[in-house]
Amino acid sequence: MLRNLASVRGILTILLVLAVIFAGYGIYYKIRYWGFSFTPGQNTNLWSVEAHISFMPTGEPIKVTLTTPRSNDAFKILEENVIAPDYKVKRNSSGSLLTLTSAPKEGEQNLYYKIMLFDNVDTKGKVKAPQPEAPALPVFDEQKMAAAKQILKLAQKQDGDAVAQVIKLLNQEPLDPAVQAYLPVKCTQTQKVEIISELLALKKIPSRAARGFRLEESKKALTPDLMLEAYIDGTWKIYDIKTGKKGLPDNFVLFQRGGKSLIDVMGGEDSVIKFSVLKSVTSTMNLAGQRAELAGNKSWFDYSIYNLPLAEQNTLKWLSIFPLAILIIVLMRNVVGVQTMGTFTPMLISMALIKTGFGPGLICFSFIIFIGLLIRSLFSKLNLLLVPRISAVVIVVILMMQALTIFGYQLKLDIASSAVFFPIIITAWIIERASITWEEDGPANAGKEIIFSILVAIIVYFVISSEYIRHIMFAFNELNLVILILVMLLGTYTGYRLLELKRFHPLAKD
Amino acid sequence: MFGWFKNFSAPSALRAAGVLGMNARNFHVIAKYNSRKLYPLVDDKVLTKTLANNIGISTPKLIGKIEFQYEVKNILDIIGDNKEFVIKPAQGSGGKGVLVITNYQDGIFTTASGRKITYKEVYQHISNILSGLYSLGGKYDKAIVEELVHFSDVFKDYSYQGVPDVRLIVYKGYPIMAMTRLPTKASGGRANLHQGAVGVGLDIQTGRALHGVLNNMPITHQPDTGADLLQIQVPFWKEHLFIGALAYDMTGLGYLGADIVLDARKGPMMLELNARPGLAIQIANGVGLRSRIKEVDKYYPSGLSAEERVEFVLNYKRAK
Repeated sequence: MLRNLASVRGILTILLVLAVIFAGYGIYYKIRYWGFSFTPGQNTNLWSVEAHISFMPTGEPIKVTLTTPRSNDAFKILEENVIAPDYKVKRNSSGSLLTLTSAPKEGEQNLYYKIMLFDNVDTKGKVKAPQPEAPALPVFDEQKMAAAKQILKLAQKQDGDAVAQVIKLLNQEPLDPAVQAYLPVKCTQTQKVEIISELLALKKIPSRAARGFRLEESKKALTPDLMLEAYIDGTWKIYDIKTGKKGLPDNFVLFQRGGKSLIDVMGGEDSVIKFSVLKSVTSTMNLAGQRAELAGNKSWFDYSIYNLPLAEQNTLKWLSIFPLAILIIVLMRNVVGVQTMGTFTPMLISMALIKTGFGPGLICFSFIIFIGLLIRSLFSKLNLLLVPRISAVVIVVILMMQALTIFGYQLKLDIASSAVFFPIIITAWIIERASITWEEDGPANAGKEIIFSILVAIIVYFVISSEYIRHIMFAFNELNLVILILVMLLGTYTGYRLLELKRFHPLAKD
Repeated sequence: MFGWFKNFSAPSALRAAGVLGMNARNFHVIAKYNSRKLYPLVDDKVLTKTLANNIGISTPKLIGKIEFQYEVKNILDIIGDNKEFVIKPAQGSGGKGVLVITNYQDGIFTTASGRKITYKEVYQHISNILSGLYSLGGKYDKAIVEELVHFSDVFKDYSYQGVPDVRLIVYKGYPIMAMTRLPTKASGGRANLHQGAVGVGLDIQTGRALHGVLNNMPITHQPDTGADLLQIQVPFWKEHLFIGALAYDMTGLGYLGADIVLDARKGPMMLELNARPGLAIQIANGVGLRSRIKEVDKYYPSGLSAEERVEFVLNYKRAK
């Protein structure tokens, strides 16, 4: 008899391991590619950045080239729109260059490029990338080279890493005379970036300009801020060129990295590019589909719960907590050894408690059971047959629920109006069974059964009422497979139940 | 807090004592040796009675049975001249729905507890039985009327009303453990331990009392009559064991509980069989069932007749 058990248990254990591996991979996959998380109610910021390009045509064929961001580790693109009537829209192979061409036109031209970004915060301004080519050494004459070397030497006195040192030196107040001599008289931000890049190139550190926006809720036209990206230790790190501070500032989205300029207009003059930024918030789960598409596994997502209409999702969310509740019931009955009224009755009570709220539900439920038992004891004097009697109890329960709800509403007692959420048939059966146990085995046994049932219901309630657990069981529903195997494994548990340790205590040998 | 834990044993201690737990009983014993298709043989008392009589086990005589509601009004015809009888559900369990009438005279029924009830109440009781109130899973049931057992004087001092019986656990045809169940005032005259009856473990080879237990606690004297429980010696012990051994041949259930009453004139009679007998008998015996089951698996021969198995049990030298 033991060998048989061992083989069943062996198979189930192997299945359990497989299920755990599968669930583990599923969880990893969903977090990695769909952006799921263990915490519920996660929101993702959605940034919509709009570039408004305007220019006056010169009468020649028009060609507008715009550098656009691509999805990468730093952010993902939800939507991209170009509003340019009568323009031919073309992209280069990598998609990072948008070309709009048109025959000669008259009058001011207004073109819009709109992009919605999300997940821009995760990388904190560090982007892993393959090693770029070593930067070309700037062509300096001897005198300038000497000055540059002197500046690099001076920079070493500043705090921070090599890049931060150079930036800080160039922003010192007041400027070091040597630096002042080195910089042009009126130094624009662009020039400053170029100079820093040249200096870093002397130290063999690849660097490039980056443009982005401080994301603020303002509809005012923004000009992109310039930042410096330097390649250190296998990642592109971003630096503020005014302070040398490393990392992305808060609420900052990088729009473009590298490249010379954002926009290039041929066949037009007085070109102006204005950016505006809008922030919106959406639930993380809503973006899962987009994330899946970007990760190239859309079809997997299409056949998941999360692609269903919201109403179905909510139903399934409710259902996917059941297996856990069932596991608790199995544990309570077969491992602890608690006898309850009906196998799944406690689970149904706890489900009702979720809807009513714990305290009010419990008070209301106890009240219904109490009054129900009183009325049922009157019934037993009438000696009715079983089916009509239980039916009468069902109707009494319904009437009680109606009365409680009406009084609850009139007296503004929320407690009473929660009555309506309790499963009518289950409640009636609890009353019927308790009443029979009362008559057959005495009030002590009946009370014990009711109390144990409610106790188990409370335990189940506390597990399934947790927003976290509900979210995890829904978002990572492959865990239900693990629970299935666990429940089956518990079916082979032949050890003592916890309460048997007490029951058979007199038999124990010391 | 710790006082409460003191009442718990370590699982290893129970295993050392050979205690059979509920899970192990269901998995290793019942699921293995009690095929589900055999259950109807013991669930329906009318069928059990017929089978028992065919194989030579005596049972209380069947006075009549009522299967349908329209037959209930015939109850007085069925009872006829019988002054004492028992009405019970054919598929009841745990003594539920058993109505013991000790005197029926002039339309008044006197129950075992002395309560006088009328025809209307008896009618109602039978209706309840038919509607499935006492049957397993609430299925429609039959009511059976059978003769009342006059239990032997041996138990007179030990029982408060009701019918004391002997419960045998029979494993693979060998009676391996026994106890007698004595109704008390608290149990309402019923012989079920969880309802408050006293259980007294009996030596399987001699039928002598070993330990008394009430509500899982050791007890030495009957709470209502004050009789010394350890003085119990069940007579016709071999006949008791023989009924248990035959019950195996009759049903094929590898693990069964046989409830036997000792009638003062007719000797031991089988009341009912149980395909999933409870585990409280271990406490009454102060011995675990698991150790007995292992013993049977290891040392007891198979292929013996019922007589031979009883002889084997009576002569088995248990290593102490």
